Amino acid sequence: MLDERKVVVEVEDLYKIYKVGTNKVRALNGVSFQVYEGEFCAIVGTSGSGKSTLLNMLAGLEHPTKGQIAIRGQHIEKMNENELVAFRREHVGFIFQSFNLMGTMTALENVALPLTFRGVPKKERLKRAERMIRLVGLEKHKKHHPNQMSGGQQQRVGMARALVLNPDIVFADEPTGNLDSVTSEEMMNLMRNVVNKHHKTLVMVTHDNQLASYADRIIHIKDGKIVKIEDNTDKWKTNVGAAAVEEE
Amino acid sequence: MRFSDIIAMSAGNLWKRKVRTVLTVLGVMIGTAAIVVMLSLGIGLQSAMMGEIQSQGSMTNIQVYNYSYGDSDQLLMTDKTIEEFQQMEYVTAATPQLSTWGTLEQGKYRVDVSFYGVSQEFLSQIPVAEGGRIPDSNTKKPELLIGNGVICDFYESSSYKYPYHEDGELADVDLMNKTLFTQFQSTYTVDSEGNYVEQPAKKNIFPVVGMVEGGPDDYNSYCWNVYMDIDTMKKYLETTYRGQAIPGQPTDKNGNPYKYFVYENAIVTVDDIEHVDEVQAAIVEMGYEAYSEAEWIKSSQQEMLIVEAVLGGIGAISLFVAAIGIANTMMMSIYERTKEIGVMKVLGCSLGNIRAMFLTEAAFIGFIGGIVGIIISYILSFICNLILPPLVGYEGMNISVIPIWLVLIAMIFSTFIGMAAGFFPAQRATKLSPLAAIRSE
Repeated sequence: MLDERKVVVEVEDLYKIYKVGTNKVRALNGVSFQVYEGEFCAIVGTSGSGKSTLLNMLAGLEHPTKGQIAIRGQHIEKMNENELVAFRREHVGFIFQSFNLMGTMTALENVALPLTFRGVPKKERLKRAERMIRLVGLEKHKKHHPNQMSGGQQQRVGMARALVLNPDIVFADEPTGNLDSVTSEEMMNLMRNVVNKHHKTLVMVTHDNQLASYADRIIHIKDGKIVKIEDNTDKWKTNVGAAAVEEE
Repeated sequence: MRFSDIIAMSAGNLWKRKVRTVLTVLGVMIGTAAIVVMLSLGIGLQSAMMGEIQSQGSMTNIQVYNYSYGDSDQLLMTDKTIEEFQQMEYVTAATPQLSTWGTLEQGKYRVDVSFYGVSQEFLSQIPVAEGGRIPDSNTKKPELLIGNGVICDFYESSSYKYPYHEDGELADVDLMNKTLFTQFQSTYTVDSEGNYVEQPAKKNIFPVVGMVEGGPDDYNSYCWNVYMDIDTMKKYLETTYRGQAIPGQPTDKNGNPYKYFVYENAIVTVDDIEHVDEVQAAIVEMGYEAYSEAEWIKSSQQEMLIVEAVLGGIGAISLFVAAIGIANTMMMSIYERTKEIGVMKVLGCSLGNIRAMFLTEAAFIGFIGGIVGIIISYILSFICNLILPPLVGYEGMNISVIPIWLVLIAMIFSTFIGMAAGFFPAQRATKLSPLAAIRSE
């Protein structure tokens, strides 16, 4: 059944070796897996397990030492910095742990920022940003600056910003790391909702097993190697309605 | 990314750090103002000087001399030569000067002077003291215009005593109203034995129609000479000395006079000061000596250029310091925004756009500094013109002049300086790793 789904991310035999002094540290030691379209995939591991390194390489922020990464068939491991930036601009959304909103901009302007980089005219990009703001339920705060919003609200803005490009895939780096447990749960529900309702593909990195349980599939990583892949797809298929209701 | 968006983001970033922006702009402002004011002083001084020279006229005149004059079988300056001068490119007029020397005499006093027969055009340039006029052309007898310094050189003909030079008293003569005898220099003929025989010229009474303006001690280029109309002088000499040697005119190898007038000098007028050099060189090529004011102006212009360069250099140093200030500000800003730049990279902002944003920011600082600097320059220039001219002797003139080209160049230059100073920091910004965005504070 899995084979029928389209593959969005294809990782094959990925290595990342850092040199620390004379020692070689294997942050990633031969990792292979796929992420399918419309899937919420969690990468779980303790700190130092290599999960963040993996995400960085998936998003094209770091070059792998060896191995292949293909996103929608495009190999990004050989791209130079300019090509990577252009690739992200067209295909990738990113949600940061510490939100990383521009302090001088309103929520709406922050959401519109990636469209600015694409050269979309102001009117058009504000219209699209407005739609995204509504999607994450922040209409009331669209004129607010980041310092006038709570952490949860800021992360919703971050999420809207990641989605505004209509990317092939969204990467989230510990998206709830700076949030309390209640807001974290809200955030996870929102992400779940976006994946289910809008058929987005989302890859999240976390150290928290509980949060990872929101995902369709959970990739456990330890010492740079995948130790286990949990598949909860069926569970979420049946709970789609429940998640959506919860969000409302 | 659209250019308008780059501008908006850069402006926003500058606005966010107002104090720092203002301080950096201040540096550029001082630098620009220093250059503009210094150069405006140079330009103003030069134009004041040129104005003064121009008011004396004759910038486009070339004085042509023939010092080989009198030596036989030498080049002679005749009416034909004058015509040649007139045929030359750029020459608008060429007028000869006929000269001889002689004496003026009144009562017991006498003076030795040079007489010049010149054109009406030349005469009209001579400032005449009140109550006088310039000599007319085609009068029966030549009319005289006497230099204001001539009166100092009268001596008692019997004792050769100079009352002015020895006692400080002017000789008791009235050149305008009392009878004045004029005698040209003697001529010589060669007798049958080969001896030179002096033939004194006859004494005449020529009407004095005017004096050159100025007191006895005031120098000008006309003050020592006596002027008359050249045509009248020629006609007079021709009729008076028909068939004989004419005073002041050279003779050939055998001591015989020429059948035409030979001039000692001529004035060639050129259409534009730019062409003076060329024409002058051509005249020298023909074998004559030539001198022009333009020559002197050129060398003084070069001196002014050096002054301007020194003044501008002083200003440039402050602008250079300001450029370092811009570079420093941009560097600080980039370190401060490392994370922000990383985020932009993660969100897909191209390296070119990042570079453009920082360059625009730096250019903004330079541009605004340039504008404010020019405004300040106008104020300083106004104050300079109020205070300085009386101190340096150019009263009523603008000693600081800011031409529009200087304004444009200053703006372009300050903007360029800003961009140049921002180039390295901008390059640095593009090299920052997007991973900076991931690291938590």
